[in-house]
This record gives sequence, structure tokens and C-alpha cells, in this order.
Amino acid sequence: MSFYQTWLPFIYLYGVGGIAFLFGTFLIYKTGALRVNYETHKKWVWVLFYGYFFYAFIHALFIYLAIGSI
Amino acid sequence: MENILGTNLDRIVILAYFAVVMGFGAYFGKYSKTTSDYFFGGRRFSWWLITISIVATGIGSHSFVKYSTKAYQYGFSSTMTYMNDWFFMPLFLFGWLPIIYYLRLGSIPEYFERRFSREARYIATFMILMYMIGYIAIQFLTLATALYKIYGIPLMLTVVLIAIATTIYMHFGGQTSVIFTDLIQGFILIFAGLLLFSLGLNFLVENTSYSSGLKALWENLSPLEKLPLANFNSPPDFNFVGIFWQDGIAGSIGFLFLNQGLIMRFMAARSVNEGRKAAAFNVLVILPISAIVVSNAGWIGKAISNSVPGALPIDLAPNDVFVSVANLITSPGVFGFIIAALCAALMSTSDTLVNASSSVIINDIYRPLTKNKSSDKEQLRLARLASVVVKVIAVCLVPFFNSFESIYEAHGWFHSTFTPPLVVGVFLGIFWKRFTATAVIATFIGGAFLMILGQMYPTLISPFSHGIELRPGRGYSYIGALYNLFVCAGVGVLVTFFTKPVSENKLTGLTVFDVHKLKNIFKGSDVNESIGRPVVVHYKIKDLNEGMVSFSKEDMEITKSKKGDLVYIQDQRWWLGGLKSIHATFDEPHDEKGIVYINETQCDSGMFIKGLALKAEKEM
Repeated sequence: MSFYQTWLPFIYLYGVGGIAFLFGTFLIYKTGALRVNYETHKKWVWVLFYGYFFYAFIHALFIYLAIGSI
Repeated sequence: MENILGTNLDRIVILAYFAVVMGFGAYFGKYSKTTSDYFFGGRRFSWWLITISIVATGIGSHSFVKYSTKAYQYGFSSTMTYMNDWFFMPLFLFGWLPIIYYLRLGSIPEYFERRFSREARYIATFMILMYMIGYIAIQFLTLATALYKIYGIPLMLTVVLIAIATTIYMHFGGQTSVIFTDLIQGFILIFAGLLLFSLGLNFLVENTSYSSGLKALWENLSPLEKLPLANFNSPPDFNFVGIFWQDGIAGSIGFLFLNQGLIMRFMAARSVNEGRKAAAFNVLVILPISAIVVSNAGWIGKAISNSVPGALPIDLAPNDVFVSVANLITSPGVFGFIIAALCAALMSTSDTLVNASSSVIINDIYRPLTKNKSSDKEQLRLARLASVVVKVIAVCLVPFFNSFESIYEAHGWFHSTFTPPLVVGVFLGIFWKRFTATAVIATFIGGAFLMILGQMYPTLISPFSHGIELRPGRGYSYIGALYNLFVCAGVGVLVTFFTKPVSENKLTGLTVFDVHKLKNIFKGSDVNESIGRPVVVHYKIKDLNEGMVSFSKEDMEITKSKKGDLVYIQDQRWWLGGLKSIHATFDEPHDEKGIVYINETQCDSGMFIKGLALKAEKEM
């Protein structure tokens, strides 16, 4: 399997998607929409980053297992 | 007549299912008394109720067929579109959701008027209505195609019967009926999909030498079929980068920021935080499960083809995988149940879209034209009539969509034509204060013109193609979304720099930069952020001012509330999910601990039962 089939889509997804994610997180923080001094908002920050890495982990795991099954 | 599928038992199961859902939905009609109830369910529901009902909305009847087909052709990468929605969650949860909720927006087009101009609202209304009604027509067509083969009655008659069945409960119940019928249909969809998966794994165990169905599935897929993401830029009809821009970017923004049906679900949540929980749980937990639910027939079909030669026809068309696999691995009655799940998918998606369309018709056409002079009762009557009219138009559009080469093509045409201008308009509107009314109209009109040029001359899209092959006569498919987004955004940005922006005062509360002020705007006074605890109380009736309720001093101390703060009171039984509840304002306190005074109207609206305890908590 080539790089085009395995890790390039992953890098593109979490690279370009990651830019959108970080830009959004930065924007809501800078505008005060997200206030990390609020207890509930602090939990949401964790949830937001957990979601990003959760999906990245699932995708990376399946790519790794698929490569290993050759 | 074509081959009739299924047995009489299957047909009875499907009819029984329709009857149960219609009765269930019609029952909840009694909870819709105002247009607010009808469209938004009275803004009172718990996050879990919203979440499950979103499941049924997100999975359309076309989903099972479409994703099973891709799963059969390409394996696990069929799940891509269900697992790329997280990137815009920060902006949705803390930007868009508070804006639509606290501004009490009746519809997406209403935002366009408040943020830009009435002209922008009318154009957005037209585009959104076209999109939703067309989508309903596609849903009707998909299910009718399946049922037509089971009952053997003409396709258009099947479409009409489906439209009538969904009208019966929608007509009376509105959003409350939609939410509660979608609740059971959401469970049925997931259960049916997982049942099919488990029967498929069992079939593999019984017909291969593997002791575990999951192992049999894994071992009978090729390494390429095990990859969760498609090949980067080939083949032209299923590649990663094209689908990323079409679904992961344009689709995700469209789904989260512009889907009127979804937005109305979040508006039905009892608070912004409950809406956030529903959205996050949906994307983190429900969507991955949904990906398995809609795709597994294709994976199972591929594994069966590889491990049990002859079980499925050698020349099996990918489009027929779902029905063929379901037929092979289920017994009579169970097949009917699986098709009933397909019905659930159709009914739940179309009822949401019909309710959303009638909301747009009332909020964005009728109210502005009549200057909101008609009574709420009159508007409710018209909303019900509008939902019928929407379905009639959708039925009339079915033959048009039936003329497309495939349902996917019709679906893709919709997404690529109607989503990008709206996505750019709403996105720049929220996140760029300088973006002007003239610029948004130019985005709609100029962007659409350039998009049409792109369809006519695909070489214009080539610079965005990422190396995807241009198919002669068919152009680019998914990657066209990147071109469309680029030209719409380009027109919007360019025109903005040549037009005069409005003063910041006129944008108060309408952009992400003012989200921190929205609670104050919603409440009408300073927000009380001190954290209290809920209290359990019993109600007594008293003639209080409209919207006011009176608690004891002690209970107000526990909830950390003051006169003028907002309170949410619900039946203490959590499993009602907020169905019996009201929002109110704290009045002067009294001295009877454990008692709340409410008026007759509030008791009637909340449908509280004498003697049953209520749970009250301060909102802000």
C-alpha cells in the first residue's frame, strides 16, 4: 500500500481539519465566548480536545492495523 | 411487475410499524398549543432526548443503501463522512449555538435579515426551502423504491401513501411529535442496524471455519478495505480529498450551521448547555455507531462474497447489497423489521424537514408579509397547512429526481448547488464583522453564477483538483465543493472591501465577538452566575403576574437565586426528558419551604400533575 492510500489522507485530515479546529478554539477563546475561568467551560475545553484526539486515534489505529494485515 | 421481495409476515410488520408510529406521533400532538411548541417544542427538553431524536434525523432512508454500497465497494472507508464532523465543534458549541438560542431565532433566514438585510433573508429563504423540499422528495423516492418492490403497488402511489402516513402525526403534533416519534425511531434504527450486523457476523461464523464473526469479517476483507480513509485522490468517484472538502468542510458546516431541522432540535433543548451536550454526545458517540449501522451490510456482503462463494450473486450490483444481504441473513418477519427501520429513517428525516420547512414558511414569508399581525392560533393553523403543502410539492418533485441516474447523483447535485453560498454567507457573517449585506447577496448571486460556470467548464476547477482525474463529460464530483467554496468566499470578500460596513452597534449579539453579552440580552438584565443546587417542590396555584413564580426564601437560597432570575421547573421524573416543564422568572419570595406558587396558565402549559413533586433549578 502506498503513502497515498495510508498516511497522507490521515495527515491531510488532521492537518487541514486541525487548522480549522485550532482556529475555532482560538477564536472562541479570544472573543470571550469560551471562558476558561468558568468551571463548566473548563470541562468543555477538555471535551473539545478529547474529541479531536479520539477520532485521530481511531483512524490511526485502523490504518496501523490495516498495514499490519498485509 | 418486478420481482416481489419478502413474505406476507414482512408486509404485516411494516404496516404495523407505520400504524404504531402514526398513533404515537398523533398522541403527542396534545403537547403543541402554540407556534413555539409546534416549531421548537417549547424549548424544554433534556439533552439525551434531543440526542436520540437527532440520530433518526441524521440517518435518512438513503443512508442505508448509499453507505452499504460504498462499504461493499471500498470497505471501512465508507465511514469517512460520519467521522469528520469534529473540526467545527468549537465554533458551533460556543459561537453559533448561543447566537441562535439566545437571540430566539425562528429560522436561519431570520439571522440573515438581522445580520444583513431583508433581501438577504428572502434569497436565503428561497435557497433553504428549495434544498429542504428537494431533500424530502429524495427521501420519498428512496423509500418508495424499496416498498414498491415489497408491496408491488405503483411507485407514485407508494410515494403518496408514505406522504399521507407521515402527515397524520406531523399535522397535529409538530416538533413535539417529531421529537418523540424520532426518539423511538432512533432506537429502532440503531437496533435494526446492529441486529443486521450481529446476524451477519453469525452467518459468517456458521459458514466459515472462524470461531468469531469479527475475526471472520476482518480476515475476509483485503488490507485496502480495512483502511478507514479512502485513497487520497483516486478513483474520481470515491477519493479522500474530494470527500473531505465536500463533506468534511462544506457538509459539516452546512449540517451544523444551516440545517434548519437540526437547529430546531437544539432550540428545543432546555438550555444552551443541554444543546451542547446533545451535539457533543451525538458526534462523539452516536455518529460512530451510526456509521456501523448504515455501512455494515456492505462489509458483511463483501466478506460473504469472499468467504462463501455463491451465497450472493456473482454479478450483484453494489446498489442492491443492502436488500440482498438483509434477505440472505434474516428470517421472514425480521426482514420486514429491517425494512421498517428503513421506513423509520425516511419518516424521521422527512418529518424534521417538513416541520423545518413550515417553520421557514411561517417565520420568513408569512410573518414578514403580514407584519406579524395574525394571532398565534391562526399561525399554528397555517403552519399545519404549510406542512401539507410542502409534502404535496415534494411528491410532485419525485418524478424529476427519479430522472437522475442515481439517488446519489441527485443528492450530490443538491449539496453542491445549494450549500456553498449559504455556508460562506453564514460563516463570514458570524466571524467577520466587516462582511456586508451587499457582499452576502453578491455571494449568493455571483457565487452561484461562478459555480454554474464551473459545472459548464470543469477546467476552471482543475487548479483545485489535487490531482483527481477529470472524467470526460462528467466533470469533477466532490472536489467541486472546494472550487464552489473558494469562488463564493472570493466574491464575498472582494465585494466587502468595496462596500461600507454597518456600525458595530447594529451587529450587537449577531457575531461571535458578542457571545459573552448574549445571556444578558436574553435575560434582559445582569446574569446571576452563582452556582446553586436544584430544589424539589410542590406547586400551589396563585394569581401571579405573567411568567412569574414564587419560591420560599430558603429554596431561593439553595438555588442561589434572586428576584428576576430565570428558573426552569420540570416534573421530577427524569425520564420525561422535560416534556412536562416550564421556564419562568423568580418573583418575591414567601416563607413556605418546599412550595412554589405558579398560575393556572403555567400549570396548564407544564401539564403538571397535582401531588407530584417538581424539580426547580436556576437558569441564570
